[in-house]
Amino acid sequence: MQPRSQHESRPVFCTIVPPHVLDKLSQSDDPVLAGPARRTLEADAARRTRRQVTTFVRPTISQEPADDSSGKPDRTLYDCRHGTDLPGTKVRAEGEDPTSDASVNRAYAGLGATFDLLLSVYGRRSIDGNGLPLIGSVHYDEKYNNAFFDGEQMVFGDGDGEIFLDFTVAIDVIAHELAHGLTQYTANLNYYGQSGALNESVSDVFGSLVKQYSLGQTAGQADWLIGAGLLAPRVQGVALRSMKAPGTAYDDDVLGKDPQPASMDDYIHTGEDNGGVHLNSGIPNRAFYLLATALGGSSWERAGQLWFDVLTGGELAVDADFASFARLTVAAARSRFGEGDEVEAVLKAWSEVGVPTA
Amino acid sequence: MRIQVSRTGGFAGIARHREIDTSGRADAHEWEALAASALTGGREASATGVPDGFSYRITVDGRTVHCADPRLTDAQRALVSRVLKEGA
Repeated sequence: MQPRSQHESRPVFCTIVPPHVLDKLSQSDDPVLAGPARRTLEADAARRTRRQVTTFVRPTISQEPADDSSGKPDRTLYDCRHGTDLPGTKVRAEGEDPTSDASVNRAYAGLGATFDLLLSVYGRRSIDGNGLPLIGSVHYDEKYNNAFFDGEQMVFGDGDGEIFLDFTVAIDVIAHELAHGLTQYTANLNYYGQSGALNESVSDVFGSLVKQYSLGQTAGQADWLIGAGLLAPRVQGVALRSMKAPGTAYDDDVLGKDPQPASMDDYIHTGEDNGGVHLNSGIPNRAFYLLATALGGSSWERAGQLWFDVLTGGELAVDADFASFARLTVAAARSRFGEGDEVEAVLKAWSEVGVPTA
Repeated sequence: MRIQVSRTGGFAGIARHREIDTSGRADAHEWEALAASALTGGREASATGVPDGFSYRITVDGRTVHCADPRLTDAQRALVSRVLKEGA
């Protein structure tokens, strides 16, 4: 595993117009204002990236990044061929043509879309901010009903065809796994209890943002589902989770009913699932949905930026609870946008799901 | 011999609990040997595991061990998949 620094080094970065002002302009309805501001932000992101690259002393023997000057991911896909040895057999490297295996190509595209959102919108080069190569393995085990991040790479099962289909069919699921890597390299939230549910929720949030960004959807157009298309046809349900209405994604004889709570009133106390990390994540998920739809427009611009700020800002404790995370989102809104609609919308979103911010 | 397997966590967070009673089964010896091997590599305390990874609890005649994906021994993987498939 790559060493992970507690405090990321932040490049010295000078510009005449402060980034938060550019952000504001880039969201302007006036294309004359928005266009140049957005281009400047993108150029700044590229420059920040180059600066990091120039200060990085590369070992003499190491895997060369695909493109030194930033901009490009460095993806490698492996095929486990239904075994459990990781990573498996290398089947597609960065820049290579698509293979005849749709799972490989979907994972390759999904990792690329996630890399693109992080770089283009948030100016972060890969999950570690330093161009970390992205590794994915498909066809893990036989009829494996799961996907996970093992600390170094993403792993996708084919599903059993009875309950779940191939886990690479949903771009938000691929992005969800990669976002676990983003969390690991930033706030590194403990995967247990409320900090674990936050870890899960952050992955759902960025999973959904990657899907919305790749489809060009506004908050109002998005389905706010996680894993749509992943349930086998016979299962009664639309997805694995709903950020909009937690607890309503499925209700099926075999699978049971979606157990996610939508507010603190229904918070689930359990020892299973690392203290319900995939259950109680419904609460912060819904807070994000409420914020994004209240603000409208592209969710990744303001709502997503605030979540990204909190995750990467260095103040979020590894054992943070929902309330600490919520308070930091309020502070982030205040610092980025000043008192106004954004702060009000953040306060209202957390209040609706019963998480205190005071 | 009573073999119980609980699988929790995973991307979907859906738990599965199954058990096998080997008494009277023609393949009882095979099950018992597999269960004994599976216990060998297990941990006494529950494992947090990796994000979205499955966690398993294996109980054989009252003795419980824990393990988590992707670090299962071959015997543990064989046992949990058989019990989850064939168990009641």
